[in-house]
Formats: sequence, structure tokens, C-alpha cells
Amino acid sequence: MTTHRTRTTFAILGLCLALILASCGIEPEDSPGSTSSVDPGDSGATDSAAPSQAAVGGGEPEDVLNFANWPLYIDEDDDGNRPTIDQFEEATGVDVTYTESIEDNNSFFGTIQPALAAGDDTGYDIIVMTDWMIGNMARLGYLEPLNVERDVPNFLENADAVYLDRSYDPGNIYSVPWQSGITGIGYNPELVDEEITSLAQLFDPELIEKYCGQIGMFIEMRDAMSLAMLYNGVTPSEATMEDAEAAQQTLLDQAPCVRDYYGNEYAQGLADGSLAITMAWSGDVFQLQLDNPDLQFVVPDEGGILWTDNMAIPKGAAHPNAALAMMDYVYDPEVAAQITEWVNYITPVPGAQEIILQHVADAEAEDDAETADYLRAVAESPLVFPTADMLDRLFSYKVLDEEEERAWNELFDEVVAG
Amino acid sequence: MPSWLRRHRGLVPYLFLVPGGLWLIAFFVIPLITVASVALQEGSLGTGYRLTFNFGIFPDAIARWDTQLLRSLQFGLIVTVLAMLIGYPMAYTIAFRGGRYKNILLLLVIMPFFTSFIIRTISWKFILADQGFVLGTLKDIGIVEPGFRLIATPVAVIAGITYNFLPFVVLPLYVALERIEPRLIEAANDLYASRFQAFIRVTLPLSISGVFAASLLSFIPAVGDYLNAELLGSRNETMIGNVIQRLYLVNNDYPQASALSLILMLGILVSVFVYRRVLRGQELTV
Amino acid sequence: MAASTAPVRRAPVGKRLGMAILPVYTGFVVLYLFLPILVMAVFGFNDIQGRFNFTWQGFTLEHWANLFNRYPALNQSLLNSLTVAVISTLVATTFGTLIGLALTRYEFRGRGPLNLLIFLPIATPEIVLGASLLAMFVSIGWARDITTITIAHIMFNISFVVVTVRARIAGFDRALEDAAMDLGADEWTTFRKITFPLIFPGILAAALLAFALSIDDFVITQFTAGQTITFPLWVYGASRIGVPPQVNVMGTLIFLIALVGIGLWILLQRRELSAAPTSMER
Repeated sequence: MTTHRTRTTFAILGLCLALILASCGIEPEDSPGSTSSVDPGDSGATDSAAPSQAAVGGGEPEDVLNFANWPLYIDEDDDGNRPTIDQFEEATGVDVTYTESIEDNNSFFGTIQPALAAGDDTGYDIIVMTDWMIGNMARLGYLEPLNVERDVPNFLENADAVYLDRSYDPGNIYSVPWQSGITGIGYNPELVDEEITSLAQLFDPELIEKYCGQIGMFIEMRDAMSLAMLYNGVTPSEATMEDAEAAQQTLLDQAPCVRDYYGNEYAQGLADGSLAITMAWSGDVFQLQLDNPDLQFVVPDEGGILWTDNMAIPKGAAHPNAALAMMDYVYDPEVAAQITEWVNYITPVPGAQEIILQHVADAEAEDDAETADYLRAVAESPLVFPTADMLDRLFSYKVLDEEEERAWNELFDEVVAG
Repeated sequence: MPSWLRRHRGLVPYLFLVPGGLWLIAFFVIPLITVASVALQEGSLGTGYRLTFNFGIFPDAIARWDTQLLRSLQFGLIVTVLAMLIGYPMAYTIAFRGGRYKNILLLLVIMPFFTSFIIRTISWKFILADQGFVLGTLKDIGIVEPGFRLIATPVAVIAGITYNFLPFVVLPLYVALERIEPRLIEAANDLYASRFQAFIRVTLPLSISGVFAASLLSFIPAVGDYLNAELLGSRNETMIGNVIQRLYLVNNDYPQASALSLILMLGILVSVFVYRRVLRGQELTV
Repeated sequence: MAASTAPVRRAPVGKRLGMAILPVYTGFVVLYLFLPILVMAVFGFNDIQGRFNFTWQGFTLEHWANLFNRYPALNQSLLNSLTVAVISTLVATTFGTLIGLALTRYEFRGRGPLNLLIFLPIATPEIVLGASLLAMFVSIGWARDITTITIAHIMFNISFVVVTVRARIAGFDRALEDAAMDLGADEWTTFRKITFPLIFPGILAAALLAFALSIDDFVITQFTAGQTITFPLWVYGASRIGVPPQVNVMGTLIFLIALVGIGLWILLQRRELSAAPTSMER
């Protein structure tokens, strides 16, 4: 290769590079929230209470519904069918495409953001996002406003009062809850010879010394940081930047003894004995208890987190009426009971408990002891139907604005990447 | 052949090159340039990004993630050395002792890699589990103390990566070794060289091209690997690949992630050039 | 050939032991290579009660029986993987073979840069390949789905095809082509009847390689998939919850199919070799 040719090649490449660099940029097109400024003092509520556009809905359900959810979040039978979905399809004639494509709030948001920014249909009519992400998306104008009174009456009738006005979506303008769960501590009494009641037993380096290498933490930034804040005596939804930094320090102090930062895999760790004490979600531990009744889940004295995953309609969804019909359908106490019996997380419909107990009685009448025992466990478990005492100690995440989210991410990244 | 084509015979090679070449330019070169551009931008997914020529992001990123960068290079090196130590004798045996079974042996080396990469790594997670059938048995017998573990240690991660790239090492080594004339080694023996001396002074130097190819084919992917670290390691084994993946797919922090991607590429290119220099130097001395 | 008279003779036993080391070592390495496969296959027969498949609980064939019933998403992911693999193999093999032909048989300018262009994707870590594609797609607002996965797979496969095909084409004896043309065949007929059949094994090998690389790709796919799930992505997602035995069964199946394929290939090669001599004889 002659030097002359090399130089020409590089010159041309350089020119192209300069041209492309100059013109590249990731621009969101005009979307209602893209130029929204951030209120520094607004830590709890979303931007505006009343949406600028009219709510979707009010019509007949369309023929099709695209429903995106997390894995294992709706009832399934042994043949891979989903009874609730099938029954809904039969009742309404709507053809439902249910995909378990949500593994992480941010990841999923990253994949639908291009469509939302361009004002296009994301391909989904219902998505299930955790409360803080609902707050973010609402603020960015990426969710359709709902008229819950008109289109989801079952919600108003059957949901627990506490869900009627959450801080991340006051007035339920954009979302209705799907399931809630508790972030607390799970532990294996075979490996832990004391009772775990306090976050200190998870965070204090001296106390965890003897379980070093068998401690599990979440890789979810908000869960981990919030729990650390509770340990430091801070209410997560009121945390300041200093509190966040203190939380990071707590996590860094704990880190040498932490085996790993998990997504869902901690459940396997608890089950196979590689984890002694770990952050855990109520529903997972409940299911683990079916195989190993000794495993414990506890809401620590300092507190735990109550999070809610919510159904929402992304902007530009093609079948909002079908979506609203589905939302209304799952708030029927019978359906709610059916879902909870399988999913084992906290249902927003308290009436479901009675129905599950009814199913217990039915199973006993049919001499089906196995099902009866299982259903009774579901109905009586504080992990599925938490007591008032537990609920008193449960807190919400803080709704972060972009600046804060980036700052907290930076703090937490340092903890997670050794 | 159509007459217009016959007239412009010189164009034929260019025509052949156009589809593939354009594809590579569009989907390899341009994305790399985009990465450079995105690295220099600032903003967020919600409010959009603007090209601010934020060159400061490079020293920032290096400073923040120097541990992970170094660790990745380190692991890559260890993996390459290990794979070479394991794979060279393997390739040697197949090339010189394989006889009729050469092809079968080669296939045996490649076959495990017809299963999904993920399934294999997950199987390793299972094999190396604390109370699994390997460690559990050893612990029961008492050879290994109860608190011992392999998962979530650097050992597991390095072992996993080495396992995954072993065939990429064995194959080029085999190709290079197979080309060596056995008579050269006989000649060395005739000249009173011991088997060992013949190996060091004849076989090894003649296989250098294979060594070079094999080390590249294991070092480069090893440095950028993140799956093994994620499934088999703990936070102390976080590699730069994990960081890049997290920044891209979880934090949606495209600028920082892009900057790190470029830094990773640069680190690899530099290492490769240095290595090439070193090997060339070796080749010249007899 | 003079017998070697090395001054120091090793004792026969030691020498035999020395001779045995390498094969034994090879045996161990092969065992080590196959261990995870064995584990995977065995646990496809595990009769699990709950969600987790890591303690042996009994033998059952039910996972083989309801392989395609239990997880519709798994089936969809396999379908996606196959679709992407087939399309990307066809396209990449075509493009790559053309480039290979151009590189080995024609003179043209820009050879150096072209070689670099082909070599670089192989030398770039997968994470950079995938991440850069993601960055570009995000930049221009191109939503990620099965199309973008296919695009990415075609991209990295082209290089592998070129490298594989080139070796075969380079070893091809041009004299045969000249002979054909001397006998009156035009270029196209020569290509069709002489060249192509003889380089076809190389093209086939390249296609198989491309197919295998595409089916198993994880890293690049994870970045360019959006919410589309391919088989490796599904397994990865499932691994966080509890990999169902169906995955083990499928892995075993894929392995067995490849095994059978290789077996057939060897048989075919043996037959080809023992049949009429080809250009390999000089």
C-alpha cells in the first residue's frame, strides 16, 4: 500500500468523520415533555395534576390488545396457558398478545423511548412499570391520561383506599396498580442462628462479619439505596443529596461481605444455600417457602419498601379501549384472587382474600388437601396480605428528577462495580 | 455475460465488493463513528442529547472506571495464557499424534460449542455451585473447608472465559502446527537435539503465526466479555464490559457508555500492536 | 533415513510414560470440554417439583414430551433465532462470497483498506460491535426489533464468510477454468459448471459457520434486540428466575442435531474422497 494512497484514504475518512460528527445528535422530536424543566423542590408529586389533553377511552374495546408485563406476573397453568387472559378474551372478544418483555424499568424504557419521542405507537397498549418510572414517564408526557371513573369503575369500587392517591400519580390520572410488593430481608434459619429483625443485621459490618460472603443485595439502585437510607434513619421519599451520599457510604462499608448484587437470581441463592441473609421481595420468598418452609421474610424494624407496579397506557397506543377493559377486568375480586393465587404478590383488591378463603373451603370439600393447604397459605400469609403493623413500617421510593437520578446512579454504580 | 459488462470488465470486482462493502460501511464503520459522536454529547433520554464536544468525558470515564479497565486487560491476559497452556499441547497432540483421528479430535474440540454459549455458562454455574456435586462432595469428604466457594470469585470467571474461547485457541494452533514438516524435527533430532530442544527451537518458532492468531482470538473477546463476570462473578470481578452494558441498557447513559466503548477498543488495539512488536522481535532472533 | 543415535537414551518405561502423557492429557481436556454438556443433558431429565433445576429429584421424560407446549415464549424465541439465522446466513454468505471472489481473483485498487474493513469486525469485541449499532440506531431513531438484529448478524457474518471462503478459493486451481474456456465455454458457463461446484464446499462451510454464529449470538443481539427475544436472550432471562428443564432439552437437541450433521458431513467427505479424483490431485 503506497503512502500516497494511505494518506488519501485517511483524508477522505477524516472528512466524512467530521461531517457526521457535526450532524449527529439524538434529538427527541417535539413531545410535550421534552422541554419540561425540572422543579428542584418537587420531590414527591408529578409536575401537573391535570393533564393538558383529554383522557383516552370511552369507546368500545378494539379487536386487539398488546399487553407487556414482567415475567411470572400473571397466572399460568401447567400447559403454559394464562387463565385470566383466556377468560378475558372469551368475555370481551379481544385478542390479547401478552408478552413478558419487561425485565427492567430502565431497559424497557430505553427500548420504547424512540417511538415515544417521535410520537409513534410503541406497539404496546398496556405496560406495567414500577411507581417511580410511572412518575418519570408521566412527567415526560409519555403516558395517556385515563378517566378512571368512567372506564375503570371496578378499580374505584374494589381497590384498597391506600391506592387511590399515591404520591407518584395523585388521582390515578395515568395508572392503576397491578401488584405491589415489599422489599425486606429474607434469610435462611439453617445458616442464620439468630432472629433477624433489624437492618443493622444486614448492613452493620461488625454484625455481618460472620456471614461474610453469604450476604445478598439488590442491583436495583432504588431498592438498595432506600434500604440503606432507612438503616440510617432517613425516610426515603424525603432524602436529600447528603442522605444519598451517606447511603452510598453505608453500602460501600457493607460491600466487602456482599456476595453479589442480584436481580432476581437471589432467590436461587436463598434456595441453594449460598445466601444466608439477603434483600428480598415478598412474593419470591413466599414461593420459596413452598419448597422450603423454613425460609423467612421479615420487614425490619427500621422499615421496608412498599412498591407498586402499575398498568399504564403509553402515549399513542393503538387500542386504549381494550386496555381500559383489561384494567377494569382485573379489578374484579374473583379475577384479582385468581391472579394473586398464582403470582403471590400483594393485590390491590382486599376483597380477594375472602374469595381465596372460599376457594380453600371448596378445595377441602373436594378432598383436595394439597390445593387447600396451598391456598390457605396464600390467604393467610402476611407476605401476600400484609398486616397493618407491617404496612406502618413500609415506605415508598423517592420520585427522582433527572439530575438526582443521574447523581444517585453514579453513587450506586460505584458500589456495584468493584 | 451481457455485453455492457464485458466492456467494463474492470468494474466486475467493484460490483462484487459493493453489497458486502456497503453493508460493512453502513453497519460497522458508521456506527463506530456514531459512537465517537455520542461520546461527545451530553443530555439524557428524556430531554435529548446535544453534541457539545465534551472531550472531558474520556479522562473522566478512565478515572472512574480505571479499576475495571485494568481488570479486564488483566483477565484477558490470564485467560490467553491459560488457554495457550491448555490448548497448545492439545493442538500439538492432534497435529503430530492424531493420525487418522485428526478430524475426529478436532471435531471433539469444537462440538461442545454447538450448544448455546449461555447454557454452557449456566451449566458451569451449576457445576461450580457451593453445594453442587463437585464442591459439595469435596466438602463432605473434608478436602475442602465448608466456607469455600468458587462462584463469585475471579477463579470462576477466568475459568469460564477460558473455557469459552478454548477452541479459538486450539484451531489456529493446530493449523500452524499441522503445516510444519515433520522432517524438520527429524533433522533436529539427527543433529543431536533432545525432544525438548527440538520443540523449543524448531516447532515453537515455526508455530508462532498460530500462537499469534490464537492469542488474538482469545485476548480480544476475553477483554470485552461480560457474561461470565455477570453469571459467575461478584462485584469484585466486574469487567469493563459489565460497566458498558449497564450504562447502555440500564442507566441509558449513552455518552459515557460510548466513551468507554472507544476506550476499550483503543486499549485492545494498543495491546495488539505492542504484542505484534514483541513477537516480531522474537522472530528475528534465532 | 538414518536411525537417530541420540547420545542419551531414555529408559523404555519412561519413554512410554512420556509418550502416554499427551494423549491422556488430551483425553482429560476433552472430558473437561464436555462436562457442561453432560450436565446440561442430564438435567433435562430432572423431575423438578418447583421452579429450580439444580438438585436431582428424579428421572422423567416429560420435559422431552412437552418440549414445545410449556413455554410459548420459548418457542417464539427459537423461531426468532431461526429466522434471523437463516436470513443472515443467506445474505452474508452471498455478500461474503462475492467479496472473496473479488479479493482472490481480481486486481483492483483499495485492497489494503478492504482487507482492513473485513478484518476489523472480527478483531472488535462483540460488546463494541453491539453497542455501536445501538448508538447508531438510537441516534437516528430507528427502533430496535428483529430487523435490527438481522442487520447486525449479517454485518458480523460477512467477515467470517470472507475469511472462510477465501481460503478455499485461493486453493482453487485456475488451470481448470482455463481448460474449460479453451474448450469453448464462456465465463458464465465456466463459473457455473466448474468453479462454483468446486468452491461450493468452502461456501457451505462458511454458511454453516455463519449460521452457528448467528443462532448462538448473545452480546450483539442483546444490544440490538429491543424487546424481541431470541433463544439465547430467552435463556438468559430465564436464568435469572430459574432455567426450566425445557431449555436443557433444547440445548441437548441442538447438540445432537449438530452431531448428526457432522456425522453426515464426515460420511459425505469420505465418499467424495474415495470417488473420482478432483482438482486436489495434482
